[in-house]
Formats: sequence, structure tokens, C-alpha cells
Amino acid sequence: MTAIRIGIKKSLKMQGKQIKQLTKQPFLLTLILLILIFFFVFAVYPIFQVLKIAISGEEGFSLSNLKEMITNHAFLRALWNSIRLGIISAVLGTAVGFLFAFAITRTEMRGKKFFHLMALLPIISPPFVIALSMILLFGKNGAISNGIFHLANSNIYGMGSLIFIQTLAFFPIAYMNLRGVLESIDPSLEDAALNMGASRWKVFKTITFPLALPGVFSALLLVFIKSIEDFGNPMIIAGDYETLAVQAYLQIIGMYNLSSGAFFALALLIPAFTAFLIQKYWLSKKSYVTVTGKPSQSTIKINEKYIVYPLFVLCILATGTILLFYGSVAFGSLVKVWGIDHTFTLDNFKYVFTLGFDSIKNSLLLATISTPITAILGMIIAYLIIRKQFIGKKLLELSTMLPFAVPGTVVGIGFILAFNEKPLALTGTAFILIITFTVRNITTGIEAGTNSLRQVDPSIEEASTNLGANGIQTFFKVSLPLMRSALFSGLVYSFVKSMTSISAVIFLVSVHWNLITVSILSQVEGSRMGAAAAYVMILIIIVLIAIGILQLVVNKLGPAKRRK
Amino acid sequence: MAKKLGLIISMVILSLAMTACGSEAGKSKSDELTVYTALPEQEALYYFDEFEKETGIKVNFVRLSAGQILARAQAEQGNPQGSVWYGSPSDTLIAASELELLESYKPENADLIPEEYTDSDWDWTPVYVGALGFASNSEWLEDNGLEPPTSWDDLLKPEYADNVSVAHPASAGTAYTVLATLIQLKGEDEAFDYLKSLDKNIRQYTQSGAAPARDAGLGEVAVGIGFAQQILAPMEEGYPITISYPEDGTGYEVGSAAIIKDGPKEELENAKTFIDWTVSKEGQETYSKGGYYRLPVNEDAEIPKGATPLDELNLIEYDAVWAGEVRKEITNKFEEEIGSEDEAQ
Repeated sequence: MTAIRIGIKKSLKMQGKQIKQLTKQPFLLTLILLILIFFFVFAVYPIFQVLKIAISGEEGFSLSNLKEMITNHAFLRALWNSIRLGIISAVLGTAVGFLFAFAITRTEMRGKKFFHLMALLPIISPPFVIALSMILLFGKNGAISNGIFHLANSNIYGMGSLIFIQTLAFFPIAYMNLRGVLESIDPSLEDAALNMGASRWKVFKTITFPLALPGVFSALLLVFIKSIEDFGNPMIIAGDYETLAVQAYLQIIGMYNLSSGAFFALALLIPAFTAFLIQKYWLSKKSYVTVTGKPSQSTIKINEKYIVYPLFVLCILATGTILLFYGSVAFGSLVKVWGIDHTFTLDNFKYVFTLGFDSIKNSLLLATISTPITAILGMIIAYLIIRKQFIGKKLLELSTMLPFAVPGTVVGIGFILAFNEKPLALTGTAFILIITFTVRNITTGIEAGTNSLRQVDPSIEEASTNLGANGIQTFFKVSLPLMRSALFSGLVYSFVKSMTSISAVIFLVSVHWNLITVSILSQVEGSRMGAAAAYVMILIIIVLIAIGILQLVVNKLGPAKRRK
Repeated sequence: MAKKLGLIISMVILSLAMTACGSEAGKSKSDELTVYTALPEQEALYYFDEFEKETGIKVNFVRLSAGQILARAQAEQGNPQGSVWYGSPSDTLIAASELELLESYKPENADLIPEEYTDSDWDWTPVYVGALGFASNSEWLEDNGLEPPTSWDDLLKPEYADNVSVAHPASAGTAYTVLATLIQLKGEDEAFDYLKSLDKNIRQYTQSGAAPARDAGLGEVAVGIGFAQQILAPMEEGYPITISYPEDGTGYEVGSAAIIKDGPKEELENAKTFIDWTVSKEGQETYSKGGYYRLPVNEDAEIPKGATPLDELNLIEYDAVWAGEVRKEITNKFEEEIGSEDEAQ
């Protein structure tokens, strides 16, 4: 009894201490408050609006209504399917991502720059087009299945294809996250072990991998959430394998039942948050600090053939698959009728140009505005989460996760419900699109940022403040450069996803702010595959140029000491 | 200080003047119109250009699928952003009118539209008709020495085993029309018996209504079921497709347009002008002028070349209003009876 009382007293005291500390730093306090308000208004509130619709049903709220939905056979099947798919895709995606990241940061492999670029390509995964090239390559009449192997009856619809496509589409998220983590592990630890005679395998097993665990966990979490939330791929390729995200979409779009669709979609939060909590629990138990500010020598990179060659083969295989898919899209954009008449033509591009550049320009402009906001804000939040103690931290983490974990359709509808009327009448503006991009894409940046910072000894920052720098200077001059790789991931992911997202924005585009993905979808639905492919090629070129520019910008940040 | 005050006063006056202008513009006619359309982008663009040529009203539009427009209109209720909802199957508009999202308007040429297509309250207006047909892969037909199917029962033949594609009625209006047509043609029990037999020949229930025709074009399936315009579009693109219609009776969709309730006030007159125009002879003939295969609803309008006029088909008396009302029941039944059988396989 007394123990409990003491415990409560202690925690109250702690909270009091935290508040006192915060009031001493008015700038920090304001910042935290502003960020909390921002996420409350633009993440929690819209989704709460959807929740209201989900539980009220058609005849108002009733528990039996809710019970009926939860025990519904189709609902449970879809939920289970989603979870199973999510777990398998997360494991495979993280494994491939880890191999790529390890090969690129730890070995003397050839063509690392090329592999790096190729691993970023699939995050573009333009709506519907990749699933379509799957049909053209491996379908019944596919170029590979029928053309090369003469399989007259290959059936590509189902869970297997879906896992394959999702692994391909989502491993870059794992890669970006893990690359940052592996890069910031201080190599002197590994070197020391090697010098003392440990084998490469032992170094990996006892040092590299355990230290990379936070990255592995957050990669698993991110891919898991993306996989269960995805509806574009399962929509085309899943066949009879029903998933919750697709069922939610179909309830809303096909059955005109906003309420049960919202319910299905929000049910996805249960596995998503369970995964989130498991991850946080694991991570809270250990310290992962390796960057201490003490001078460290460049690592002895792995050059042994028996390690490099298998990794090289794996990278080639994955890259080859990516090139096959994107190459077939490029091919489709340059022929008369994709899959039928392969006469070379530029007509598809000419046709796209006659439709005008407005949607392309809009997408580019809005992505350019939202990208730095998203990435920098993500780094600031990561910094606050790892370095500062404040009340509402868990709340902040959860609310930044919310719009990422809910299917885009629900985010889009939630935004209309929340911001269609005064005082916050934002529908139809560019602002609402920028905000959507920000809240939906910030999570990967935060995850990458927290993982990087977890490895950095806070005494480095303390040194900076002791030498007279204020908090802002320390953040921009010390912490941010140390999070460089995470910042890059945040920037790239946010830019690419802003350019290519469809499910949320389809509800938010307006006559003055139409976007390229909506144009692509329209071409797909109008059976103009060539034109859709041409749009995708334009998209890919823009994204590659942007990645180049972002890499340059990020490299400028701080000395490129451990960069090779 | 005085300077500052002067500045503030002039700003207040300016903003007042601006709001005055704004409200004046609200009363007087705007020369723009905001439209949500489910037609393909390039096609919609063509019609809107023609409309602007004729009336001087510029159309700004967003292209969404029919179900997305409905979800969006539902969420935007209270402060709708669009004035006109154009070119989506009547069952979405029937659902919308039940939710009181639509403003009733009877266009000028209303009497030229056959009554069986129209809504008694004129909450929405029919603008085109498209009959259900079969898209067969021409190469596949040739290789197997077969003729294209000409009746619903043809699709049950063993030649087509695992080679027919139709969208899922819960996700696509096209497939729901197929379902509703079969029920009206055969009666409910017999229709479901038929669907159970057909299920053995179905390769995939696609999510999108346009996908079966495209899949037939790509050789992914031998036969896809869809509306004529969904079949003729990939044909025009160059895909090897032969179109045929069920001679034992086929259904059709009534593509419709409507004015969105409480939409932008200044555009209301333009919205009415637009609805008038779409069913006028000129408006209806843009389908054939632009090379699109939609069948006009206005009896005076010319029929697009290559499209089969409805009177050459054996059309059932398709009751779109009934179909819209029982939609939920029937799709649920479909999911239970046909879906559960999938499970058992």
C-alpha cells in the first residue's frame, strides 16, 4: 500500500519536475505545444470524425450494431488475412531491405551507388501500374510466363503475387531506415572486435545486428503498417484474398456505405497499434548508444569474397526484378498498344502533352513545398522524443502514427468531414493537400530520426550547450548533421509519396489543384495503358532528378566524414 | 500613429469593398462551372470544350470514379464544393438522392427522353445509355475456332472454363447491372442458379468495371462482360476484341447527371444551363462527333458510328430505380451465395 503511494508520489514528483523544467525553457514549451496542437487538429480530429460515423451506423449508435459488425464472419476473415499478409510482407521486406543496407554500408561491393538508386525506385510504385505490368509479364498471356516459359494457364491472382508485389514495393522503406541506422553505428566497435580476432560472422551476430535492432524493429513496423493499409495492389492482384483495406474501400466506394467502410478501415488500427506498442516495449529496454563524439577511424569494410558475392547476387536479383517491372512500364510507354502491338511510337507522350501539364506542375509544386516541412518537422519530433522529457510524449508519438496507419481513403474522407466548414474551411485549397502530405508521410522520417539519435550519446549535445550554444543552434549544428541519413530518408520518402499518393488525395483534389496521380488513374480506367505508362515515366524522371538534388543538399550538411 | 490609423482604415474599406464585390459576383452570373465527373478525363474535356464553345461557360472539373464522387458528396454535405455531378451510372445518383444530396431540376428537353430512363422527381437526368455486351478476345476465338457468345447461356459452355471475367457487383456498377439484369430476365432464384453455374467459368471477379473488357483484350481471359462503351474503347485503342450482345435479352446502364444540392450559389444558373445542354440535340451529338460510343438518350440525336443502337438489341425493360433500391440486399446475397461457394472450393 505504502509502496504504491510512494510510487504515485514519485511519478507525480517526476511530472512536476518535468513541467518545472519545461517552464524554464519557454521556447521548447511553445514548440511542443504547437506540435501537439498541430497533430491534434490535423491527425486526431479528422480521424475522430470518421470514428463518429463508423460507430454511429445508419440508425444511430448502438452496441448490438457494433457487436454484429465485429463478429461478422467476412470482417474477421479480412482482418486475419490483413494481419497474415502484413506479417509476411514485413518480414520479407525488412530482410531484403536489411541485406541491401548491409551490402551498401558495410562491404566493398561494386556498383553500390547504382544499387542505392535502384532500391529507392520502388517507393515510386505508381498506382495500379506495377500490378498491371505484373499481369503483362506473368499473366496468362504474359511476356515471361507465356512468351518464355509457355505456361498457358498461369494464375497470378492471389496471396503469393500480393506478397511478392508488396515486398518489392515496401522493402525500400526498410532499406532507407536501416541504411541510416547501419551508417551511424560507430564502426570502431566492429573494428575492435575484428582486431581481437572475432570472425566476421561473430562481429555481425554480436555487434552489428544487435545494434541495428531498433532499425529492424521500426522497419518491421513500418512495412507491416504499409502492407495492411495498402489497397492499390490487392485491389488488382489479390483475387479472392480479401483484405481489410480493400473491403473498407469497397464498402465506401462500391456499396455506398460510408459507415461500415469507416469501421473496417479503423479496425486496421488494432493490429497497427499493437505492432507499435510491441516495438516501443522492446526498444525501451536497451541502450544503443555508439556515437560518443570520441574520434573514430573509418571502418575496415568487408571485402571477403564469400560474403560479398552472395550479397552481390542477391542485390542483382532484386535490382533485376525492379528493372524488369519498371522497364516494362517504360516499354509500354513507347509502343502503340502495350501487350498487343509493339510498334515504336512517341504518340503516348504526345498525347500526354496535349492533355497539359497542369496536374504535373501542381504535384511538383505541392510536393516541393511539403517535403522540407515534413522532413524537418520529422527530425524535430524525433529529437524531442529521444532527448526531451515531457508530458504527452506517448500521445504525440501515437498521433503522428495515426494518419500513417489508417488507409488513405479514411484520411481523405476525415479531412473533408473535419475541414469542409467554418472555422476551418480548407477543402479545395492547396493548403489541405500540403497538410495531408505532411501528416501522412512524416512517420518514416520520425522513425529514421529516432533510430539515428538513439545511437548518439547525448553528451555530444550537452558539450555543445556547455560551450554556449542555445538549443536551436545545437539542434541544427550538432544533432541534425548526425541525423543526416535519416533526414535524407525523410526528404526522399516525403517527396516521392507526395508525388505518387492517390488514395487520400482523391478526395481532396479540386478543380484548381488536380494532381498527376489522378490523371494516371483516369488513364488506367479509360484503358489507355500507354498514356498511363507515359505519365509514370515522366513521374519517374522527376523523382530521380529530385533524389539527386536532395542527395546534394543533404551532403552539404556537415562534413562528409563517414561517407564513402 | 495617424499614418497607421489611415492604413488600417483604408484596409478595412478595401476589404469591405472586396466582400461587396464578392457578394455581387455571387448574385450576378459567374461564367464558370465546377463539375465532378466519372467519365474518362480526355472524354470529359472534349464535351466541356464543346459546351464552352456554345455557351461561353468554362467548366472546371475533377475526375473521380462514381463511388468516389458519392463518398465525397456525402462528406462535403453542408458545404459542397461542386455544382454538377456528371456522367455516372444512375444507381449512384439514386443512392445520392436518397441521401438528399441532389437538387431536383427538370431540363428543357425533358420530353424528348424516354420515360423509362428518367427519375420521377427529376433529381437526376439521364444523359447516355450503354448496353451490356460481351468482349471476346478475337485471337482466342480464331485459335479455338469459336464464334463469339451470343447468349448468357453460351458463357456456361465448357469451352469457356476458367476464362470469363466480370467485375464484382459489390465494387462496380457495371457488375451490379449484370446482376440486376439477370434477375429481371430470369427471376431471382433462377438468376442465382445461373450465377452459381457461371461461377465455375469465372476466372476473376475484378474490382473495376472496365477491367474485364481490357483483360479480354490482353488475352488474360477469353470473354469479359461490360458495357458497350467499356468494350469499344479498348477496341479503338487496338486491342483484338470482338463485341457481341446476348440475344436473349440484355440490360443497360443509364448514365446520368445531377445538380448538387446547396452547391456554389453563383454557379446554379450555369449548372442548369449545363444540364439543359447535355440533353439537347447538340449536346447529345457530341458523343458521335467526338468518337465516343455512348448512346444518346435524346431521340432526335444521331447515334455514334460503330455503336449498336438500342433498338437493334433485345433489351429487357430494365428498371433502374428498382435496381438502385434493392442494391444492398442483392449484393449481400451475391456475396453470401457466390462468395461462400468460393470459400468451399
